[in-house]
Amino acid sequence: MSMSTRHILLGLLASGPSHGYDLKRRHDARFPQARPLAYGQVYTTLQRLVRDGLAEVEGTDSDGGPERTVYRATDEGVRELSRWAGEIAPPAPFVTNEIFAKVVVSILSDGDPAGYLRAQRAAHMDRMRELTAVKTAGGADLATVLSADFALNHLDADLRWMTTTAARLTTLTAEVDTA
Amino acid sequence: MNHGDNTAGGLLTGRRLVKAHGRTEALRGATVTLDAGEILAVTGPSGSGKSTLAHCLSGITRPDAGSVTYAGRRLEELPEKRLSELRRTEFGVVFQFGQLIPELTAADNVALPLMLAGAGRAEARATAGEWLERFGVRGQEDSRPGELSGGQAQRVALARALVTGPRVVFADEPTGALDSLAGEQVMTALVHTVRETGTAVLLITHDAQVAAYADREVRLCDGVAAPQGAAA
Amino acid sequence: MTASLLSDLRLAWQLTRGAGRREWWRTGLTATGAALATGFALAAGALASLRGGHHSDSLAGGLLGEPGTRAGVILALLLLLVPVLGFLGQCARIGAVHRDRRLAGLRLAGATPGQVRRIAALETGLACLLGSAVATAVTVPVLVGAWERPPALTWVVLALIALAVPVLGAAAGALALRRVVASPLGWVRRVGPARPGRGPGRLFLAALLLVAGVALLAAVTASGTPRGPSLWRTPMTVFGALLAVGAGSVWLSGAACRLVGRTLAVRARSAATLIAAERLRDDPWAAARTHAAVLLVTVAGTGFVSVRHIVTEALREDRHRLAESVSYYTTGLDLTGAAIAVGLLITLSALAVGTAESLAVRRSGLAAQVAAGVPRAVLVRALLLETALPLAPALLVAGVGGLAIGAGYSSLTASGALPWSALLVPLTVYAACLLASATALPLLRRTVRPSELRHT
Repeated sequence: MSMSTRHILLGLLASGPSHGYDLKRRHDARFPQARPLAYGQVYTTLQRLVRDGLAEVEGTDSDGGPERTVYRATDEGVRELSRWAGEIAPPAPFVTNEIFAKVVVSILSDGDPAGYLRAQRAAHMDRMRELTAVKTAGGADLATVLSADFALNHLDADLRWMTTTAARLTTLTAEVDTA
Repeated sequence: MNHGDNTAGGLLTGRRLVKAHGRTEALRGATVTLDAGEILAVTGPSGSGKSTLAHCLSGITRPDAGSVTYAGRRLEELPEKRLSELRRTEFGVVFQFGQLIPELTAADNVALPLMLAGAGRAEARATAGEWLERFGVRGQEDSRPGELSGGQAQRVALARALVTGPRVVFADEPTGALDSLAGEQVMTALVHTVRETGTAVLLITHDAQVAAYADREVRLCDGVAAPQGAAA
Repeated sequence: MTASLLSDLRLAWQLTRGAGRREWWRTGLTATGAALATGFALAAGALASLRGGHHSDSLAGGLLGEPGTRAGVILALLLLLVPVLGFLGQCARIGAVHRDRRLAGLRLAGATPGQVRRIAALETGLACLLGSAVATAVTVPVLVGAWERPPALTWVVLALIALAVPVLGAAAGALALRRVVASPLGWVRRVGPARPGRGPGRLFLAALLLVAGVALLAAVTASGTPRGPSLWRTPMTVFGALLAVGAGSVWLSGAACRLVGRTLAVRARSAATLIAAERLRDDPWAAARTHAAVLLVTVAGTGFVSVRHIVTEALREDRHRLAESVSYYTTGLDLTGAAIAVGLLITLSALAVGTAESLAVRRSGLAAQVAAGVPRAVLVRALLLETALPLAPALLVAGVGGLAIGAGYSSLTASGALPWSALLVPLTVYAACLLASATALPLLRRTVRPSELRHT
């Protein structure tokens, strides 16, 4: 379960009553480059919000098409939202890194950690070029640019870590082999 | 691994370049090709020979060994005077900082290459104004480099590098002295413009986020181009 | 106190030794300037210490024997200090940015302002001491050879001068650093060349006033006051005029630079003129000291050639009526001419040093221009125009000024003839200045290298 989907939906609701399909559309527009929300996930999350008293059904809206349930945030929901938004996200509570794990496993199994790091670096650069192309394309809005920047900075951090690790592979290999 | 043979074609090619500064060898047989209209990032740790490679490819320095071919011409066969002419007509250069003449206004700095090519001052300044506008520094025509922010100065430098319609721009750490937002604006302005004009860019950088603006990357390591991509 | 002075001295020595070639250039040239200054001052002091007539008539055609003419010689020697000061001012600029940054670094490393000032003073003072010692070592034997027994007063004066030069040099060194001492951070972070304000110009003017004052005093005492005010009215007038011209020339050269820069910056059609004009407009006072010395030499030279022309004409006519031999007068003229030539030579050296330094300071910027394909020829032209443009109007004024002195003298002696040949002097000086600047140009090729493009 995504730790923030319910709060993000609650946030979208806080700006005004809305139905499920509209929420999904607004989510995807607001958070481009994020994994698109499945409609089923929107529906179940809304039901949980109602169950917990954070949202309630406002009524139905047909607007010429099929009938849709319109939800709105309760006062309790608005309070919960502001609590969550002000809460500090725990900074990297567990260090689980697939790249690091692969380097260590590669050393243990007499593989080619340097070659793996090179290939991973190339893949990272490819992805960074893609994201940069997305954000520099004409007409990209600020939300797109910022979300691309977020990913770019994380990929860049990975890259820097890979560069320093590649330069220290000999020492790491000695350490892993003796341990 | 030998990359020496798949460099046929290309607008600008350096083959097996060797260059020493005193006793340290900055380049030890690097081979790099730049195609027309492409943005090529040259990355690598500091001291890997990135700047020296750009200097050799742009004819600023002559390599100790190896050859540089630009549009079918061997640079090592050209006299200094022709190289200088090549640099101000076919090439443009942008450095980290310091390429603008501090005493000249932004407009005069951009107009300078045109005046060197024989244009009149008024005409050159008018064209310079258009380029300043293109890089979003309109209204700073009469400011001197010291009065501009770092990002503005670099955009003026880009305008100066591109004003003559060069086929290749050498950008050596163009955002190195800027914060990330100003750097992003400079890189976006550069990329948009060269895509329109079809100018090739050799982008020297140690910053992966800057390198990501390029179409392709060559990674230098100890003066040679490191093997890329697949592990085995 | 002595211990801390010793440790400062050791630090100053270490810094100078580790600082590289340009520091040595500054030290060497400063020492040379100090030697020249000491030499002129020693000669003037020795002459001034004499009382009444003297027996060594053989020396310089008897010019030194007469109190009246001796005053003139003293005056000339002291005036020669003016171009020397200009030269020393240029030398102080060599590697100034680098040195300022180094001393500011010392401040950051925890040195007290007093310590930094002492170290700077020691650096300059030691160079001046070297120059002063060499000059004294040469002058004293010559003096002893010329006069069998110089009076005690002469020795006192000589000792005072030999000591005063390094002390004054040290004081000037400490003074020049007051801004570094005040704000170490600002000067460490500074990237571009330090902008010389009008401070050095003021310093030069103050020094000029000092020299003029001393010269006046010396001339008055040496010519012997008892013989009435009429005798020293003439030197007084000459002095007033020279002082006015000196002060005016600093202002004039600065103003000429600014005016030429402003005017041409708008109208420039070629790249070289544009660069030169904007540089002049940006910092018109950079070359004011040297240019002022050039102007003084030009005024003196033009005036001298006019006067010489008139005097030699007069001599030829009145040969039989003169009490002294003709050589008495011509030797005086020749000596004056020689003094002016020496002054010109020193000034030209200062100009060459100044051009070289301005190249050295800007070498990474110039390397960037060359890298961008700006032809060296354009940079060379810009550099020469920087000297040529402001000097042209200033030298015109100086030439007219010198000619006015000649015309004035001519009307006094009622000969009426105005020697137009004197107009050749400003032209010759102009050409010599351009040549002096051009001597620095090979440096452009040597210093503007791709290695200057490295930005670390």
